[in-house]
Amino acid sequence: MKSNLIKAACIAGLSTALTATAGPSFAQQAGREIVLGAIVPSSGPFAEWGRANTVTLQMLERQINGSGGVNGAKLRIEILDDATKPAQATNNLRKLAGDDKVLAVAGPLTSSAAEVTFPVANEMKTVATSQASSKPGVAKLNRPWAFRNTIDEGVLGRTTVPYYKKTFNIKTVAIIYDAKDATAATVGSRIMPALMKENEIDVLNANDPLSFNTGDLDVSAQVTKMKALNPDGIVVSADYSQAVTVIREMKRQGILKPVVGSTQLISSAILKAAPEIPIIAPATFYATMKGDKPEKFVSELQPLLRKTSGLPAEIEPSMYDANIYEIVSIYIDAIKSAGVSGKAEDLEADRTKIRDYMAKLVGFPGLGGPIGFNDDGDAIKAFYILHGENGSWQSKVRGCSTAPGHPGC
Amino acid sequence: MFLQQFVNGVTLGAVYTLIALSFSLVMGILGVLNLAIAELFMIGGYFGFAVILAKLPLPVALLAGMAGAALVAAAIEKIGYQPLRNAPPVTPMLSTLGFSIILQNVATNLWGSDPLQLSEEVLSARFTFGPVSISAMQLVVLGATLVLVILLAFVVQRTSMGRALRAIAENRDVARLLGVSAGPVTLLAFMLSGALAGAAGVLISLHYAAITPYIGVEIGLKAIAVMVVGGTTRIWGALIAGPLIGIAEVMTTAYGGSQIRDFVVYGLMIAILLLRPQGLLGGPRSEQGPRV
Repeated sequence: MKSNLIKAACIAGLSTALTATAGPSFAQQAGREIVLGAIVPSSGPFAEWGRANTVTLQMLERQINGSGGVNGAKLRIEILDDATKPAQATNNLRKLAGDDKVLAVAGPLTSSAAEVTFPVANEMKTVATSQASSKPGVAKLNRPWAFRNTIDEGVLGRTTVPYYKKTFNIKTVAIIYDAKDATAATVGSRIMPALMKENEIDVLNANDPLSFNTGDLDVSAQVTKMKALNPDGIVVSADYSQAVTVIREMKRQGILKPVVGSTQLISSAILKAAPEIPIIAPATFYATMKGDKPEKFVSELQPLLRKTSGLPAEIEPSMYDANIYEIVSIYIDAIKSAGVSGKAEDLEADRTKIRDYMAKLVGFPGLGGPIGFNDDGDAIKAFYILHGENGSWQSKVRGCSTAPGHPGC
Repeated sequence: MFLQQFVNGVTLGAVYTLIALSFSLVMGILGVLNLAIAELFMIGGYFGFAVILAKLPLPVALLAGMAGAALVAAAIEKIGYQPLRNAPPVTPMLSTLGFSIILQNVATNLWGSDPLQLSEEVLSARFTFGPVSISAMQLVVLGATLVLVILLAFVVQRTSMGRALRAIAENRDVARLLGVSAGPVTLLAFMLSGALAGAAGVLISLHYAAITPYIGVEIGLKAIAVMVVGGTTRIWGALIAGPLIGIAEVMTTAYGGSQIRDFVVYGLMIAILLLRPQGLLGGPRSEQGPRV
């Protein structure tokens, strides 16, 4: 009995000593916290997306803590609202990185916010990964701390436009875009005209761009002008809530031509605007996606979203919910596998480890397939060309945003 | 295309007229820029939408939108204006700005930021006259605007409350000396203004069969431009300036390019401020006494 006690004491002492020599991080000790940050628009024009993102992150936090936390430490995600205001997003990042000492930040959502927040991420040496920004070059301009779990719209358009041309025998288009939205203006004024030219589609209003401003209610003049051009199809470059205005006006004026656009169009709301008008747009995730992971994600998240006040009763998880879920999951994987200590004095080193892990990431098991990052900080992942008509999105083509020198999807 | 664009411009101008009249009523009579009017327009639209979704007829939706927005306007007058009526003019203006932000947040929390849409358009019939196509709802927008303007004219010109409003607008000190009670007149001005904005909200949201909590901002700014062009001291200036700005905006988009549309609209406003500060129909501000 006595020898057993001595043996037990020796084992306990040895294990304590081993743990001490290994330099236990607070991440490996129960009762401590791992803090990550998130910037989402819970108010303002994209409040639906921000609120759904918040529910998604809270679900992930519960899942992680329910399964033992991160190396034994409790996960806490500090979520701040930027109201889709770039200045507020920047202040949020400063607070999260400077005051809350988070290891990394998920967000901000829009390209306008990412454009001004990413330089601050570089300045504060904290990884920030956007869940929705897809304007070309936003992460590239802010290496090495800025990442986006999205694909450049120019890359997506190279698959979207040929599909659109082939499916609807498109020879001519008219382009209309939201001039006040950073991504929409770039896609509408630069990316789509170039892609149409590459695909030998004539842009009938190439010399007379048609635009409107975020918040405009009346686009009758622009649509009447498009109608007079009589194109085979219409390019609508705007986020879905603005695109709804254009598409409803098209229906009102009897223009039932197929519409093509960017990831900004993906939503269930846009399909209600004019169910008879076909809409083609790319996405990296959609709620009816097949597969164990996406189906499990939707089945767990959807009921939570639907019982959250302020969200529509028929809401489905969006691509941006999937993206932010993947971003935080990647951070957790980085903390677990890159030797993040979690000690206050190691904060800078820990953030650097997460950054380096992200830069070298290959084949992370995302919801829609493996994820990595290219040299510009944008995601290498699978995408799908979706065809929306009569109230539902159908996947038509699978693509991959592979990059030279990196494995594909 | 020109005639079609003209019809588009007149429809837009009709809505600008109603909202600009709403601004003018409070500005012309009380000398206060009520910045919450843009959101009363939005709230009225949501009330109307709710009635239509409940399968009730369009006139009920219009009345509900007007009544709802008038009640909210009354609350703004009681909380945001009356306690500050002796403060410098900028103070009640900032108070109404606060109300505007609160109303937008309330709408976002109640109805969400996604566009609320009607699956079927209200009065979807269209009439074609040669190259021009006009929807039944567009005709309702034009007709309702006309009727509301006539009703407003009747109230302002032919009723005792209207006379009190005009007396205050002409010379506040003299009106008070003659026994016009400022409190009820102020409340009436706010409520009439709210009802007009609410009506515009119902008409425009049903015309487009969609509404969001953010529709008030841009259209409110345009209506302020209309009010300035028409004249801030005379409410009827909006009758000329509304269609003028609506047609100018649409024609600029159609023939000049949509990028210069706001340049033309707000450029016109600046030009009026520089060349004829009292607006097209406005009288000099010196005719008025201090605020009620």
